[in-house]
Amino acid sequence: MSPQHAFARKIFYLIGLVLLVAVLSWLGQPTASEGSVEGKEESASGFRLPNLAQLRLRYKLSEAQLGEIDPAGTTIKLATLGLRGVAANILWEKANNYKMKKDWTNLSATLQQITRLEPHFISVWRFQAWNLSYNVSVEFDDYRERYRWVIRGIDFLRDGIRRNEREPMLVWDVGWYITHKIGTADESKQFRRLFKEDDETFQRWEDYRPAADRDNWLVGKDWFWRSEKLVDQGADLRKTTPVLFFSHRPMSQMNYSEAIEKDGIFGEKAKEAWKKAGDEWFEFGARAIPTTEKDRYIHLNDAEQFDKEAADRIAKLEAFEPGLREKIRKERYEKLPAAKRKAYETPPEKRTRDDWEKAQEVAEQLIVTHDQLARQISGPNRPIAIKLAREAAEFEKKAEENRLYRQIVNFEFWRERARYEQTPEAIFAREYAFKGAEALANADLIKAREMYEQCFAKWRQLFDRKDFAQLKNDDSLGQEIVGIIYKYRQVLEKSDQPFPKDFVLNDILELHEKNWRAREGK
Amino acid sequence: MVIENPLPHFAEWFPAAAASWLLVVGVLIVAALVLGCLVSVLRYGPRLGFTVALGTAVSGVVDLVCMSPRRVAALSWLAVKEAIRRRVILVFVLFVVILLFAGWFLDVGSSEPAKLYLSFVLTATTYLVLLLALFLSAFSLPTDVKSRTIQTVVTKPVRPSEIVLGRMLGFTIVGTALLLLMSVVSYFFVTRGVSHTHEVLAENLRPAGPAVDGRQPLSGTTESSQGHRHRLFVDAAGKGVIESEFGHWHEIQVGGTSDKPSFEVGGPEGMFQARVPIYGKLRFRSREGVDIDRGINVGDEWFYRSFIQGGSVAAAIWTFSNIRESQFPDGLPVEMNIEVFRTYKGNIEKGVLGSLSLRNPRTGLIVEVKVFESKDFTPLFIFVPRKITEFSGADVISSKRETPDKGVEFSPPQNLLDRRLAERKEFDLFNDLVADGEVEVWLRCLEPSQYFGAGQPDLWLHAADASFEVNFFKGYFGIWLQMVLVIAFGVTFSTFLSGPVAMLATVGAMIGGFFSDFLTRLSQHAVLGGGPFEAIIRLVRQENLMTELEPGLRTTAAQMADRVAEAGLWVIAHILPPFTEFNYADWVAYGFDITWDPWIVVPALRALAFLVPVFVAGCFFLKTREVAQ
Repeated sequence: MSPQHAFARKIFYLIGLVLLVAVLSWLGQPTASEGSVEGKEESASGFRLPNLAQLRLRYKLSEAQLGEIDPAGTTIKLATLGLRGVAANILWEKANNYKMKKDWTNLSATLQQITRLEPHFISVWRFQAWNLSYNVSVEFDDYRERYRWVIRGIDFLRDGIRRNEREPMLVWDVGWYITHKIGTADESKQFRRLFKEDDETFQRWEDYRPAADRDNWLVGKDWFWRSEKLVDQGADLRKTTPVLFFSHRPMSQMNYSEAIEKDGIFGEKAKEAWKKAGDEWFEFGARAIPTTEKDRYIHLNDAEQFDKEAADRIAKLEAFEPGLREKIRKERYEKLPAAKRKAYETPPEKRTRDDWEKAQEVAEQLIVTHDQLARQISGPNRPIAIKLAREAAEFEKKAEENRLYRQIVNFEFWRERARYEQTPEAIFAREYAFKGAEALANADLIKAREMYEQCFAKWRQLFDRKDFAQLKNDDSLGQEIVGIIYKYRQVLEKSDQPFPKDFVLNDILELHEKNWRAREGK
Repeated sequence: MVIENPLPHFAEWFPAAAASWLLVVGVLIVAALVLGCLVSVLRYGPRLGFTVALGTAVSGVVDLVCMSPRRVAALSWLAVKEAIRRRVILVFVLFVVILLFAGWFLDVGSSEPAKLYLSFVLTATTYLVLLLALFLSAFSLPTDVKSRTIQTVVTKPVRPSEIVLGRMLGFTIVGTALLLLMSVVSYFFVTRGVSHTHEVLAENLRPAGPAVDGRQPLSGTTESSQGHRHRLFVDAAGKGVIESEFGHWHEIQVGGTSDKPSFEVGGPEGMFQARVPIYGKLRFRSREGVDIDRGINVGDEWFYRSFIQGGSVAAAIWTFSNIRESQFPDGLPVEMNIEVFRTYKGNIEKGVLGSLSLRNPRTGLIVEVKVFESKDFTPLFIFVPRKITEFSGADVISSKRETPDKGVEFSPPQNLLDRRLAERKEFDLFNDLVADGEVEVWLRCLEPSQYFGAGQPDLWLHAADASFEVNFFKGYFGIWLQMVLVIAFGVTFSTFLSGPVAMLATVGAMIGGFFSDFLTRLSQHAVLGGGPFEAIIRLVRQENLMTELEPGLRTTAAQMADRVAEAGLWVIAHILPPFTEFNYADWVAYGFDITWDPWIVVPALRALAFLVPVFVAGCFFLKTREVAQ
């Protein structure tokens, strides 16, 4: 190679380097140099600057905006010399290997290294925190070790939150782990106890609430509340269903109320807890919840109002020509072929497959929509009738849609439950059931029988209340009571007593025993 | 501690290993001669070619045999001076800086902080020292050749072999000194890093029984330190015991008066150990009472441990040999680390019950010496005294094995069982249960439908405690072996390649060595997703590893190419040193003594087996270079 050639090559490299540096420096120049603030992206010359700093500012992607700055993580990222992705992949494989080989200490250390490399990769935090709290914890036989690993997963999430302060799902996950992993695992009794006694964890979390308030459901509820606040401030919910997301905070209060009764706490405290649960459920129902349609929101409490509005308009519509709807139906029915009418008139139990199809068709043809009804009205009322019909249909549609959303969170069930659980009858009934079970476990049959009978009397009082007339049809409560009745049966059998024929909750047995037996496989 | 690939003892390993080494070296010599001859014949014609090739081979052998130690020492010293000139001390400075900031990465609140700290220092040292060895060795000769300073050496009466060995030795000396410095600093870093004590506040202690002579037994917990606290118990005599937590415990001195006791807690104990284990050979007994090689798989992806069913005759049986009375005069210290698998919740507040029995393999006498409550992933210590007076059962049983050729075999034969042996009230460990130095340890799970899992190294006899400090430095010996190998490869590659290319080649050898196990499995079809060509197709088409490739010409061609590539991978995997085998980090971290035989001797000889041909190759490559002639 001649010296001239070598010199030319060096000059070529130098020009390439200068060009690269110039582009990078232009892209990366700080926003302050242009005196720009959010929303102002043009320099004095009017030239639009798409530089990285501004884009970072606009999308709140700078390290300081995302969360706490981590010098160690930044150092490690730089040390990988641009091979951060490769390094993270290798570490991920290593973590999988450590998990498979049950090397928990190295697994923890490797997960920390991954998150130092990828601190803003939310899925890493969520996936590996789940791994620690759910998959690793169950590998241990000792429930205390299991608890430690559940907390380790939560701590891992908290680390993630420090690096990603505006990420609601990490905050929500902390709430979920504290409530559901601690509160509903097989070892929930032990976990809840350990959680209450865990001074170190509460100190580490800088949570200085009194020991009496360290119930996992209440602590988790606070985290759900924090995640809701972030969403209210504009953070993205990603792919989470909003109605589910917002339901967990009030549900935690419900679960708390249920949990303290399982722990044997009744009276005023239980009443207050259920009352609060009802109030918070109402607040949840009053919250504007985004629907799948952009910029459209619903309020779960509105379904009854929509029903009322629809009923009001239907009444007005039908008042224009009373009996018109029935008349139209009759006319349509008479025009039907004889075979279809015969099928429709055949009692359901005697219908053939063909009859069923025909009867279904007839039923559909006999539906008189509000619009069809309105268009049969003549005279000056016709435009008003058409308007009323359209409004009634709209309200019915809204109510239907609202109920679809309600079903996702079982809204009506929980609303009703919070309502009846705070009554003195329900609280006493549950207290007596608890004491009955306790007495049965202690082989005190006389006390157990007495407690159970008082429990049933209280449920009877509640079912007989006018404002709870429909409650006995509640299958969930009914089956629960049937379960208690079977324990009562055990007490009677052990005491050589027959089951009373005039049992106070015979109607409940009739309604729900079959389902309970099916569920229990008895 | 997990030992997936146990090494055989030197005496078992050496004859076969030496034979295969000689065979491979012989093949390599023949291949090198044939290749040399071919090149010479092509360059100089058939007649002169053979003469040149033969002459080079003979002079090469002479070079090797007639090396002058004085000249090698002088060249080594030159290499040391060069290394110092190239500021190797910076690596040490970097190491110290890493240690200073290590607190950012290391969690003292981890459940095994000592293990974490030890793994960290050993890993950091390995990476830094190997990088240093790589740069020193790969760039040294090429730099000298480029700057022509090599000519000041080769014009002197030195042999190429002396240059190569001088460089290797010189860099090894520098690396060794650095490694020593690092090991000393690491030792203090680890011991000081995890050192801590706990405060004990009298108000946190509760009465734990009736008072004796006015002194109240107390129980409670220490204050938290490094993310944990210990349970403690103080008896009426004022003697305190702190329970083990996070792999250590503390000594406690109780002072003051009975009304106002004061407590002084010492530093952590049991964190740094070097247990000398004696491992047995594991077999299993099925629930039908038949001896089998593996137990039940409870759905684990990893087959290291297999499981025995509780509430049945199933057992995990370790046979220990060469157990001498002189070694265990007071009894057998058994330690185990088992896994528990529950198929139902049971009593969640308690561990699953298990039992440990000792059996005489000759007489069949089996004595259940201990019933214990399990705790998994934590070593459990059971001491079997010399005179066994407390035991929960004794019996005489034969082990039963079914073989396809010999049918059912009982050991000892059932007609020779003497049931009277089990009727005694006291047993002597060596007279009744050890036969010709052999004893069996039986582990059983007592609760029906619950399972215990174990692998061979999960139960051992704790023969003695070696010095942790010596063990710690033995851990560095593994790093030293890796460093020497990297230096040898680097110097050899640099004899015929330019600096950056020599470095890349050495890195390739290191990566290949570190992943030799993976390469072997890849060459044996034991890895999901096929060979390299199949993997490329999957990557491009974004297909996962589990799906079958679409049949067709492309797939067939890729699979055929993979067959060829796999042969190459097999060769690469076997000619590169398995670097992971020289890694003793786990031994030090888990507190097991790195015994000389086999864990030091065998890897050292294996490293030597790689070093010799690499060195010889380096000599020949340098000899054939123009600069050395």
